[in-house]
Amino acid sequence: MNARVENVSERTDAGVRVWLQTTGGVVGVLLLVQFLTGVLLAFYYVPSVDHAHTTVSYIEKVVSSGSWLRSLHHYGSQWLALFVFLHVVRLFLSKAYVDRTIAWVAAVAMLGLVMAAAGTGYSLPWDARAFFSTRVAEGLMSGLPLVGRNARFWVLGGNEISTLTLSRFFAVHVLLVPFAILGAIVWQFGRRSCWSNLTRNAIAGGAVFVALAIWCAKFPAPLGPRVDEMTADYLPRPGAQFLWLYQFLKYMPGGLGSIVGVVLPGIGLAILLLLPRLKAQRLLGSTILGVLTAMVLTMTIAAYVSDRHDPHAREQLARQATDEGKWRSEPFNPQSLQSSQREPQSTGSTSAAPVMYMKFCVNCHGPHGEGAQQGTLRFPPLLDVSAKPRRTVEDIVNLLKDPAAYGLQPPMRSFHDKLTDQQMREIAAWVVQLKR
Amino acid sequence: MKQMHTDEPKLNRSRRSFLGLLPLGVLAGVVASIGGAAFRFLRPRLSAPSEQWLDVASLSELKGPQPVAKKIVAEQISGWAVTTEEHSVFVLPEKNNQVLSTICPHAGCEVSWEQTTNRFACPCHESYFAADGSRISGPARRGLDELPTRVQDGKLQVQYRAPDGETHA
Repeated sequence: MNARVENVSERTDAGVRVWLQTTGGVVGVLLLVQFLTGVLLAFYYVPSVDHAHTTVSYIEKVVSSGSWLRSLHHYGSQWLALFVFLHVVRLFLSKAYVDRTIAWVAAVAMLGLVMAAAGTGYSLPWDARAFFSTRVAEGLMSGLPLVGRNARFWVLGGNEISTLTLSRFFAVHVLLVPFAILGAIVWQFGRRSCWSNLTRNAIAGGAVFVALAIWCAKFPAPLGPRVDEMTADYLPRPGAQFLWLYQFLKYMPGGLGSIVGVVLPGIGLAILLLLPRLKAQRLLGSTILGVLTAMVLTMTIAAYVSDRHDPHAREQLARQATDEGKWRSEPFNPQSLQSSQREPQSTGSTSAAPVMYMKFCVNCHGPHGEGAQQGTLRFPPLLDVSAKPRRTVEDIVNLLKDPAAYGLQPPMRSFHDKLTDQQMREIAAWVVQLKR
Repeated sequence: MKQMHTDEPKLNRSRRSFLGLLPLGVLAGVVASIGGAAFRFLRPRLSAPSEQWLDVASLSELKGPQPVAKKIVAEQISGWAVTTEEHSVFVLPEKNNQVLSTICPHAGCEVSWEQTTNRFACPCHESYFAADGSRISGPARRGLDELPTRVQDGKLQVQYRAPDGETHA
């Protein structure tokens, strides 16, 4: 009798183990969903800061099934990141880095590529969340040791976030990364083992797809306000797969965030990729995967908990959700393309710059706020600055007092000991009305 | 009992072939669900003909025996964008200011007025139309389309109709 019970229990264990080996099938189905929905979204999406939000709104509000398909793409990317990670862990536990090195390297590379696709994809709708995620990417790049300045320029496609940045992210998101992922998939096709256990893989993949499809029918993908309509109190929150990084950056002062957010994960992925050729594979792999799992889990939970326990954040996030719901129920307004064809106006304001601006700011930002070049240093223009988030008169006064609090770096300095509140307010009021 | 033994391999075979088809079934299921949505997603959105009356010219400008070429500016909603587009029309002052579309009903090219031969000519496939827009010769099967007009405050107005693809007529 005991022998029979043991036998049944062993068989159940074996059954569970076989089903745990279906992460590849789930990843395959989720990748298929990402490719199909991505191609469909590209039929309407326009990668320009002027049109991106409008075209995504059009997909959400007007196009039949648009909200569901975008939701599949949005949440599918989060589920994909989770299942690719589980797939890597599963391959590690079965020592794939020893006897199935191609599968191992392809899976680790896929993890990096899926995160790169998600990172670039978050910027594409060009809503408030997208703007902040691009800002964070900019900050992470500029904080990199030695290459920071150039990395930032290369990511942004210039010295500030612009429509060129969005074009770059779009090209990486829809061309480079998908081609690399396809390459990784094709590379694996030659292996016989990738066809084994196909039925269970298909069942698991199908079940996850049904769950995702139901989830997406219930929860539309979020879309924040347009960047130029965002209020100063807007609280940006990244997607689930980046919550750990968001929370971690709260604890990391200055450039340390780039080390923890980019350099260390990069080194970790590189070691995992090279694992088949390294010694102490078990120790290295389990340390990296263990630390990564612990960090991602802890920080993600901390992010949820801290929002839940902070009454201000809780209220603001609830308000944002209500605003988004209200926006969804409003009819879609087509965007006039006339504005892009209007005659260029002369730069600068017709009103004269305040005396204190001419004394302290003119050397760097120009007499009309047009910016300036001094040697290799390029100072940004102030024209249309009020269209950017956190650049109201009040913001600019506070920025003049404490530029670092607004993410500005030297040579921008604090003027709290040089200008009175009234003088700062005069400068701010003049700056916000500067138009191109 | 013996019968059961001989049936077992058969059952296993059919079970195996069913399970073998399952991955294809899942693939078909995923593609079909997204494909069904894709059909609705990509379905062209046809807009109703514009009811907007557009100024062509003051009645005082429209004189003479020849067709008068005029430009009208129409606002068009194309999905998420509102664009303004300039279109050419011909006004026939001698035919009670009738307005003709310049789009050739054969393949959609834009016809021009040939003063020397007193006819409209299509530059693409050599269809020719008389001064009143009726067909003379060429591959077009009918004359130039007439657009709805009205007179408001001394101005001739027209409702512009974009060609709906029903050329080759």
